[in-house]
Amino acid sequence: MATERRAEVTWQGSLMEGAGTIDRVGSGAFGPLEVTWASRAEDPAGRTSPEELIAAAHASCFSMALSHALAQAGSAPQRLSTSATVTFVPGTGITAIALDVVGRVPGLDEAGFREAAEGAKNGCPVSKALAGVPEITIAARLEGE
Amino acid sequence: MPRIERVAEVSWEGNVARGAGALTAASSGAFSGLPYSLASRIGSPEGRTSPEELLAAAQGGCFTMSLATELSQAGTPPERLDVRVVVVMDEVAGEGHRVVSSHLAVRGRVPGIDAAGFARATEAADAGCPLSALVRASATVTVEQTLEAG
Repeated sequence: MATERRAEVTWQGSLMEGAGTIDRVGSGAFGPLEVTWASRAEDPAGRTSPEELIAAAHASCFSMALSHALAQAGSAPQRLSTSATVTFVPGTGITAIALDVVGRVPGLDEAGFREAAEGAKNGCPVSKALAGVPEITIAARLEGE
Repeated sequence: MPRIERVAEVSWEGNVARGAGALTAASSGAFSGLPYSLASRIGSPEGRTSPEELLAAAQGGCFTMSLATELSQAGTPPERLDVRVVVVMDEVAGEGHRVVSSHLAVRGRVPGIDAAGFARATEAADAGCPLSALVRASATVTVEQTLEAG
């Protein structure tokens, strides 16, 4: 079954002097959020940016895919902590995404966790949508009980 | 060119069907602790965001900035641009869930431009927005534009 998700954005003025707002999203989970070129390309100053939203999309998609893969392999995670770092070069676009996950997964060794993380990195829908990013990396480790 | 980094953090607890996650915009702090789950991702959102909604918001932000650039370079900076992005995820035989399409509906109030000029700027913005190019590699990206009367 197809799932639709929606966002609405407004921009006023030129790129450098203007400003935008992510007015609302279909779920109502956040917004309005301000965006500007300065906060995208320089100091965020409390404002999100397309690249930060991509980081959030990728980290959340990856975590869900990894929990699914671990549960299917018989070792559902107690907890996964994931960060995604998106590197943006103006004029070029997103050049790299670095995923970093720390898991608490009873009954699984490091090699098994790294293998599952690699699979989730390749398989989650956002990873497939962003497959054109030149470098997507994953670092995975287990934390002690 | 400077390299700009933006970071988000997610914690997830439990399996995919019954577990739940929370996500935070770590670079800016613009949002934190937003809940999400499988049920709210593929079914009714129930007030929760999802990876695909975040992708829609990101693409909308990227596209509006590209279009503002194109219009300004043409000597007609916009008064106001409104962009609505709808991202569709579907199950594709043999490939699991995939983002299959992204549709952008653009309305602009742009003094001194005609419909053909606005259409050209929209096309250029679509080609120039790096996120649209990424998504287009594996999904259908469509753009429709409407120029509002000044």
